[in-house]
Amino acid sequence: MAATHAEWTKLWSVRSTWWCLGSAVVLMAGQAGLTAISESTDLPASRIAVDGVFYLVQFVVLALAALFVAGEYATGSIRSTLQWVPVRRRVLVAKCAVLAPTLFVLGVVLAALAIAVSVPLLNDRVPDTSIGEAVRTALAAGAYCALLGMFTVGVSVALRSVAGALTVTFLLLLVAPLLLGGMGLVAALDYLPGIAGVNVMLGEGEPSPLSGNPVPYNEFAGIGVLAGWVVAALAAGDAVLRRRDA
Amino acid sequence: MITLRSLTKRYGAKTVVDDLTFDVEPGTVTGFLGPNGAGKSTTMRMVLGLDHPTSGLALVGGRPYAELPHPLRQVGALLDAKALHPGRTAEKNLLAMARSNDIPDRRVGELLEQVGLTEAARKRTGAFSLGMSQRLGIAGALLGDPKVLMFDEPVNGLDPDGVLWVRGLMRSLAAEGRTVLVSSHLMSEMQLTADRLVVIGKGRLLADAPIEEFIANNSVSAVHVRLPDAGDRRVLAERLRRDGAEVELPSDGELVVRDMPVERVGDAAHALGVRLHGLSPRTASLEQAYLELTASAVEYGVSERALGV
Repeated sequence: MAATHAEWTKLWSVRSTWWCLGSAVVLMAGQAGLTAISESTDLPASRIAVDGVFYLVQFVVLALAALFVAGEYATGSIRSTLQWVPVRRRVLVAKCAVLAPTLFVLGVVLAALAIAVSVPLLNDRVPDTSIGEAVRTALAAGAYCALLGMFTVGVSVALRSVAGALTVTFLLLLVAPLLLGGMGLVAALDYLPGIAGVNVMLGEGEPSPLSGNPVPYNEFAGIGVLAGWVVAALAAGDAVLRRRDA
Repeated sequence: MITLRSLTKRYGAKTVVDDLTFDVEPGTVTGFLGPNGAGKSTTMRMVLGLDHPTSGLALVGGRPYAELPHPLRQVGALLDAKALHPGRTAEKNLLAMARSNDIPDRRVGELLEQVGLTEAARKRTGAFSLGMSQRLGIAGALLGDPKVLMFDEPVNGLDPDGVLWVRGLMRSLAAEGRTVLVSSHLMSEMQLTADRLVVIGKGRLLADAPIEEFIANNSVSAVHVRLPDAGDRRVLAERLRRDGAEVELPSDGELVVRDMPVERVGDAAHALGVRLHGLSPRTASLEQAYLELTASAVEYGVSERALGV
């Protein structure tokens, strides 16, 4: 608990956190507004929110989590962190305990913002987004941001470098789907973290713009896929953190 | 109380800390002395559980650091004053530190005041001078009111006022019954603050003794005698050796006499009727003693040829 309190204080006492959150709001509102006023749009508001999370917000989540965790290796402050809390797994848990709720709220608020911005701007051809669908999309966006943040915590601690963590997560989110798709392994796409996140936000049976197929599982199964990635990344991070000298 | 037992750290084939065994007792300032690269910082990092020993034990109050329930309330340490996020203010940094060990928030203001950083509390530490960072690091070490304190080169970057303040602080912390371990590569600094000295070189223990004992054992005094006549030199040297002194003839025209007071050397010369051009007692400083002790154990030593000696 004390370790989490300390990490909470650390998260909100550096400017990069506020820059990340502020830029996420601006990017999301701008993207939603521009997409919605475009004449050719046939996307409902909830889909505009999903696109905004996948193409913009998730990279802010990556940056925030990588700076918060891997950034400590760059500044050397990891030595202070481990001196204050020498039980190393406790540091990992505290980082997640602070980031997960923060990013969940971020995802929910930004998805709701995107829907609220685009609904009044959309033309008559586009089907309305029901309140229920808006709430479902927002909660799913929150869950995806929270899980992606924890995944990045694990990768950051395993690689001990901001650049390394960003490269690996970026490759996994954007490049891996292209590679697997090019090799014809379309069925495997739905189990990559980025695609799984979009699937959770779209809902079962919806056609996925990324894999081209309908989403093969429901939200909870999708969250299970993401949780699998989180557990693997945190296990790798835990092994490195426990063994290495600070 | 800090206890090291056969503490060893290797990186591949290189042994940085080699079988160190010593205790740091409460109520005294223990100076931890050694040339750069001797393994002082690595030893301190192992005490804090930041580096894992290859073998051996480093205990605080009989337990490994990582097993202490609120470590900052038991052990305060300043190792690397710049190991901070440069964008965080001094105040927020101490606040996060306090909260990590359930130390009340009000301690932050008290400590900033004590180290003279109240004015700079809201400044980002990236803009701090090394001296200010050291003060902040000392505030951090004292934050949990710990019984055991470790400082790695605490006077680095401090102005003369700051140096005096740190010396006084070390003395008063020890006077309060706390265990204080202070590292330095400067003998002169240790002479002013330490009650006890632990000297290491190339990771190995070279000396572990109260400072008076270290001085007595290591500061060799000698009498230098200059005589113009080579025959006189031989005669005097022979006589002094017979009287129990150790005599060397290092250069032309000079004798170096150990284990005999200057008065007796002078009397002997007078009795023999030899002509003297100089008679002077010289006490090697503690600095010299330390240099001699660590000479063979300097990690990044300059070779004698490079010095042109």
